[in-house]
Amino acid sequence: MKQPLLQKTLRIYAIYSIVALLIIAPIFYFTIDKLYIDDADDSLKLKQEEFDQSYLPSFTIAEVEAWNKYNRDTKLILNTRGIKAVVLSDEIYYDELDEEYEPYRVLASPIMIEGQAYLIAIRTSLVEKEDLIEVIAFVFLGLILVLILGLIIIFRFYARRLWQPFYNSLSIIEKFEVDKQQQVDFSPNDIDEFTRLDQAIEKLIQKNSDIYHGQKEFIENAAQEMQTPLAVFKGKLELLAQQPEMTETQSVLIADLDTSVSRLSKINKNLLLLSRIDNHQFSDMTSVNVKTILAKQFDFYAEQAATKSIELIQRDNLDLIISSNSVLVEIAIGNLILNAIKHNHAGGIVYIDVDRAGFAVSNTSVGQSLDEHVLFERFAKSDHSTTGTGLGLSIVKRIVDFNNWKIDYSFKTNMHIFSIKC
Amino acid sequence: MKILIIEDEKELATSIIKYLEGYDYRCEYCGNLAEAQDKISLYDYDCILLDLMLPDGSGFELLEEIKRQGKNDGVIIISAKDGLATRLSGLELGADDFLVKPFHLSELLARIHALIRRKNFNGSNILIYNEIRIDTLAKTVKIKDDLLDVTKKELDLLLYLISNKNRVVSKSSIAEHLSGDMADMMDNHDFIYAHIKNLKRKLSEKRCTDYIKTVYGLGYKWQ
Repeated sequence: MKQPLLQKTLRIYAIYSIVALLIIAPIFYFTIDKLYIDDADDSLKLKQEEFDQSYLPSFTIAEVEAWNKYNRDTKLILNTRGIKAVVLSDEIYYDELDEEYEPYRVLASPIMIEGQAYLIAIRTSLVEKEDLIEVIAFVFLGLILVLILGLIIIFRFYARRLWQPFYNSLSIIEKFEVDKQQQVDFSPNDIDEFTRLDQAIEKLIQKNSDIYHGQKEFIENAAQEMQTPLAVFKGKLELLAQQPEMTETQSVLIADLDTSVSRLSKINKNLLLLSRIDNHQFSDMTSVNVKTILAKQFDFYAEQAATKSIELIQRDNLDLIISSNSVLVEIAIGNLILNAIKHNHAGGIVYIDVDRAGFAVSNTSVGQSLDEHVLFERFAKSDHSTTGTGLGLSIVKRIVDFNNWKIDYSFKTNMHIFSIKC
Repeated sequence: MKILIIEDEKELATSIIKYLEGYDYRCEYCGNLAEAQDKISLYDYDCILLDLMLPDGSGFELLEEIKRQGKNDGVIIISAKDGLATRLSGLELGADDFLVKPFHLSELLARIHALIRRKNFNGSNILIYNEIRIDTLAKTVKIKDDLLDVTKKELDLLLYLISNKNRVVSKSSIAEHLSGDMADMMDNHDFIYAHIKNLKRKLSEKRCTDYIKTVYGLGYKWQ
């Protein structure tokens, strides 16, 4: 699944923080625990040394009972277990004050009082481990919360601002269309990489626009320049056709030439038409009723269809009033209908539907579903045997784009359906 | 009747002149604006064929000149430049018709005829060919005073063929003429057979001479 950049980064940071803290927490606990015990041991040893030096030399067995009575944490007991060296251990004693068992660190050291083997047992209370874990858990939970809250705040406010130039550039690129005359304007920012990115994109856009306009101009000029030689060619051919006593072979040759040059001039005129749509030479908008435009030319289409024994049927025929250029609307409808007649079979049907949202032309077909990816490309003909210009549908597409309409192609129950949503 | 052809592409001009041969026209030709200006200030023409892009200026200048001199010459613009704006400014400046290159000479001839008819008959617009009498305004055809019932397309076809009498008119030129604005979108000429057939039938029913000859492969000829 695609995630926004900042959300993804935030998630990674957050996961890392939690994992790191979860790993560190036990290490932290054991370290603290060890330090604490070491500290306790040191203080026990100090107490023992203090006893050894200050009290032991003059201590008598008679004093043992009194000592034990008044010292809660340093007891003198008979060394019945025969302990020879200093022993440190963890013990648990019942604390009468708190009325609960608490852990203690206990140091047991063998001593001799008047020749009798005694043990000096010094204990010191340890903080309850449970308490420690609790405290550490709380501290770490707090840390995690503070970290994540901090990260969110940083990402929400700072990172968003930091990445703002990137998002600006992104939206500019997303809105950019090479065939629309538009100025790209990247606002300046103080981040090196983003500035470089903007400059690179600007260069790329500039280059693309140049290439596009160069190409457009070339097509336009080429088509324009071809008009006159084509006119000469056509004229000469017509003169040739006037020659008296021509053989059938000659006539057919001239007729074939005439067909070809007619097609050539149609391709040329259609290329010029495409250029003119691109150059916004049809920006004269009026309120247009598609139904009326269709009605105006319907007899012509019906006649074209009848020649191929195709039935032209108007199904929905509602008023569709749009703001557009009437010439372009006529051209779009004409191309769609004539196309539907051309790529049809004898006895076929062409349906025309006009409703309040748009219009559609569907026709019974001779072949398969068409490739939507190249359908609207220039000169992308599905059937090379036809004599069309290969520009009809791309003209329709340009008109649709120019008007910000939508065109859809589908193939259902052996019918090609082109529908336009206005 | 005099026609002035102002066109810098000499080959096209000579083709036009050649095609108009045998009709009642005297053609003059010039290839630039300066020469054309001299000619129109000296002579009157029934029809001027004007290319818009001339080596020494735009044809629009000439249109302005004709208008300024208050001349009555009919002007047909023949231009490689298309577009509503160009058309409109041409017609606003007084041009009578606009033909985009490349065109069929037969189409040009039909337009010249129509223009001269309009100008010379002061709107009555009657075309007579032997027993055929066409009123292009009322859109009626009479064969020896007998009204012929024709459709708009058939009348159009009849006029086109008569305008190009004694010339072979190709199927594609007829198809383009009859389909008007739709011509550039279509590539099928078959629909003209039906119109030709119907027109021939209707004419013969009224005992009109069969003037429409089929030229094998190429098209038709009014003879």
